[in-house]
Amino acid sequence: MENKQTIATGAKPWLDQSEAPFIRISDLTKKFGEFTAVDNVSLEIYRGELFCLLGGSGCGKSTLLRMLAGLETPTSGRIEIDGQDVANVPAFGRPTNMMFQSYALFPHMSVEKNVAYGLKRDGIAKPEIADRVAEMLKLVQLDGFARRKPDQLSGGQRQRVALARSLIKRPKLLLLDEPLGALDKKLREETQFELINIQESLGVTFIVVTHDQEEAMTLSSRIGVMDEGRIVQVGEPREIYEFPHSRFVADFIGSVNILEGRVSEDAQDYVRIRCEEADCNIHVSHGVSCSENQKLWFALRPEKISLTRQRPEGDFNVIKGVVDEIAYLGNLSVYRVALENGKILRVTKSNLDRHSDDAITWNETVHLSWDDNSGVILVQ
Amino acid sequence: MSMRANLLRLAGLLKALGFRGRSIVIGVPLWWLVLFFLIPFLVVAKISFSEAIIARPPYSSLIEWSGDGVMLIKLEFSNYAYLLEDSLYVSAFLSSLKIAFFSTVIVLLVAYPMAYRIARASEGARNILLMLVILPFWTSFLLRVYAWIGLLKTKGIVNNLLMSLGITSEPIVMMQTNFAVYLGIVYTYLPFMVLPLFTTLVKLDSSILEASSDLGARPMTTFFKITLPLSVPGIVAGSMLVFIPVIGEFVIPALLGGPDTLMIGKVLWNEFFSNRDWPVASAVAMVLLVLLVIPIMLLRNAQTASSEASS
Repeated sequence: MENKQTIATGAKPWLDQSEAPFIRISDLTKKFGEFTAVDNVSLEIYRGELFCLLGGSGCGKSTLLRMLAGLETPTSGRIEIDGQDVANVPAFGRPTNMMFQSYALFPHMSVEKNVAYGLKRDGIAKPEIADRVAEMLKLVQLDGFARRKPDQLSGGQRQRVALARSLIKRPKLLLLDEPLGALDKKLREETQFELINIQESLGVTFIVVTHDQEEAMTLSSRIGVMDEGRIVQVGEPREIYEFPHSRFVADFIGSVNILEGRVSEDAQDYVRIRCEEADCNIHVSHGVSCSENQKLWFALRPEKISLTRQRPEGDFNVIKGVVDEIAYLGNLSVYRVALENGKILRVTKSNLDRHSDDAITWNETVHLSWDDNSGVILVQ
Repeated sequence: MSMRANLLRLAGLLKALGFRGRSIVIGVPLWWLVLFFLIPFLVVAKISFSEAIIARPPYSSLIEWSGDGVMLIKLEFSNYAYLLEDSLYVSAFLSSLKIAFFSTVIVLLVAYPMAYRIARASEGARNILLMLVILPFWTSFLLRVYAWIGLLKTKGIVNNLLMSLGITSEPIVMMQTNFAVYLGIVYTYLPFMVLPLFTTLVKLDSSILEASSDLGARPMTTFFKITLPLSVPGIVAGSMLVFIPVIGEFVIPALLGGPDTLMIGKVLWNEFFSNRDWPVASAVAMVLLVLLVIPIMLLRNAQTASSEASS
């Protein structure tokens, strides 16, 4: 998966030691009674980033976003936006704006009035409001809909009104809660790129909450994966996908086969793992900080496995199995291969050839193999 | 034969007799209204065109047969003319409108914060608070109005309390004043305003209010720009439920009001029972009805027009 360059300058400020973070979240915790929604989160986000908070429902990502907006009060911890501690700044005084998951459009106001609402609150002169609203409606391609009421718009149009309304005040930070969640697949894909374009052209820092990993991959400069109120990994999309830190991240982002094994050989520049459940010896050609006989996991993406009828040469990185199920998805096929002990591994193959006369089919005995550096060793 | 087949046969039979499921569902309330609203209304209309006589019933018949087989229909319009001649009726109407208007405004001002708070309460607390609003209905209305007499009279509980606290030395005259009437009306009709307001306020999506705050609106601005306009349907419904019955209210002004509390309900009662002038009483009732129906219909038309325009 290609990492998108979503920052206009192409820079990666999070790698630059001298760059000061734009948003600094330190030791932030939010409890609802006994339930800890956000658990001691620290996070730094840089100016101009499109940062995605990714996680399943109830992982605390929305609560974190709402604390940034000032709609929830942290139980403990600090939030700094552009160097300013916002603890005592109410929602209406923060330099942030939010796009709500339900869009939260004002049903009694026209599109125009909805978008102008934020500017009116700031006491901006009427002619300027009119100009800026017209300009913003043009940006989201809603010129001509200014006088409609929200209930006279389609879902996609409403989404764009919500976006326009949240951008009109030129916030330092835009918070988006599942911005594309209510759109159908096709519209969602189009809108993703529109969102990136708008973000690039305005240079506003975006924080997007989503449960859709594909969306996070497409949109973001960096992703923060959340689980049970904690941030479990922060990184660029490729980093998260190819170098997950834990089984949770590996499993949550994309599809993965996880093999459990023990270290059989721990050398300076390679590691060997004995995996009993797949009756297989794994060779990884780089050193890992581990000890002999330590239990660990080997994560292998389905697209990195080759499927052959003949057993490839070598004693390592080969597993034998029987094709149990094939799902044809058009661009690729997903093979479910059953091992002798019943464990299922997933393998994907690009459908490069239009004809399938020679393709591996159901109930065939096959060998799964992979390169020395295709998998990731996980110790947690 | 199965149950289903029996039901189908029954349905077929009813259909053959001209009954359709839908017509039965609509028909029952329709005939109820015809029987208990339209027919009594026509009876009242008829009486309003007759002449008061000392008899039983105390009004003349509209149709008379002359000796040679001619039917005479005699419509007495003098009852209506009389309502305009005697300034009592016009001023009673106006005074009723005034009292109804101001008490609706007061009820609205008292009920809105209550409904707002109940709608914002947690689910458990909400049910208890709603229960407390409805609870007074479990006691007789008459009893509750009588209880106010005990509170308000010269040697009543309120005056005793004020005097023992040294706030006043002389008892304050509250009974038989317009103040007591307003108090009674506001107290009695409060739930009719709270409930429709609550229903609209509880439906208000909290994220809309959050969006307003996020866009820079202070709580007061959010209330006047978002909450209040979105609760207009509840305000209209509640105001109708208070304003209309208060115009014809009889019990509260009769028990709590004094001789100078002029309300059309009281006038109607006097015509009917004290003067036994059923035709004039009926004419008062007819005029009252027409005066109330016209604004309601105008309002309804405006509402349908606005809801059609927005969809």
